[in-house]
Amino acid sequence: MTAGFAIVFGVVYTVAYFACVEGNYALFTYHPALGEFGMGVQKAKDGPAMYWYGWMATSGIVAVVAGGLAILLPEAVVRRLTPAATWIVALAAMLAFCWLLKGFFLR
Amino acid sequence: MNGWTILLIVHGLVAVALLGAITHQALGVWVPVRRPAGNFVARFRAVPGAGYANAIVVLYLLAAVLGAVIYAEYRISVRTVLQQLEMRSAEGAFELKEHFAAIGLGLLPAYWYYWRAPASDHARTRAMLTSILAFAVWFSFLVGHVVNNIRGFGV
Repeated sequence: MTAGFAIVFGVVYTVAYFACVEGNYALFTYHPALGEFGMGVQKAKDGPAMYWYGWMATSGIVAVVAGGLAILLPEAVVRRLTPAATWIVALAAMLAFCWLLKGFFLR
Repeated sequence: MNGWTILLIVHGLVAVALLGAITHQALGVWVPVRRPAGNFVARFRAVPGAGYANAIVVLYLLAAVLGAVIYAEYRISVRTVLQQLEMRSAEGAFELKEHFAAIGLGLLPAYWYYWRAPASDHARTRAMLTSILAFAVWFSFLVGHVVNNIRGFGV
């Protein structure tokens, strides 16, 4: 693994995951009551529809592709990527989720 | 005892091991022991953090996979009860747990990479990544424990 892959994967995965949750871009849907998977975002059938697995799958694919491209970057460009971006973006996303879900706690 | 409860117990045991490892490591990076450790707390902080990184990655992945498996049953038999009882805080805390756990998964490659770097390099990045993972693990563990107390999978 290279520094470029580690940094780009971490940042892109977090941003993509946040976007997937917000826009509901799930690669697939799981219907737990039926034990069925379906491609893309599907409405609930019998019981709830679960998108969490699909959000992680979408984010994972996007991050692997971006990280793979980062491996091809010249060393001079990789040296300009700041490792702090990984934890700063993650921390920002966690705070953003707290804000988005505040309705559960403030009523 | 039903299969979901057995999986939940295994998930909890893996989480306990992960908690211990990541707490050792987080304390080791923030308050390292510079003299030979004397008491229990100092010994707890005195562990070589780099030696824990591989185990933490494996335990995190294992806990995440087990959590993902039992999450489906949670959605059917636990979350609906929380909604019926209007326990909004518990439901919201579990939503946060799923997002924090997912974000932690995305940090694992960087976490692993920077723990393999020489100890003198990227100390701040290592400390922050470890702290975020430690927070996600502690939060997930406590929320899971409380929600299981409210409504478990049964026996």
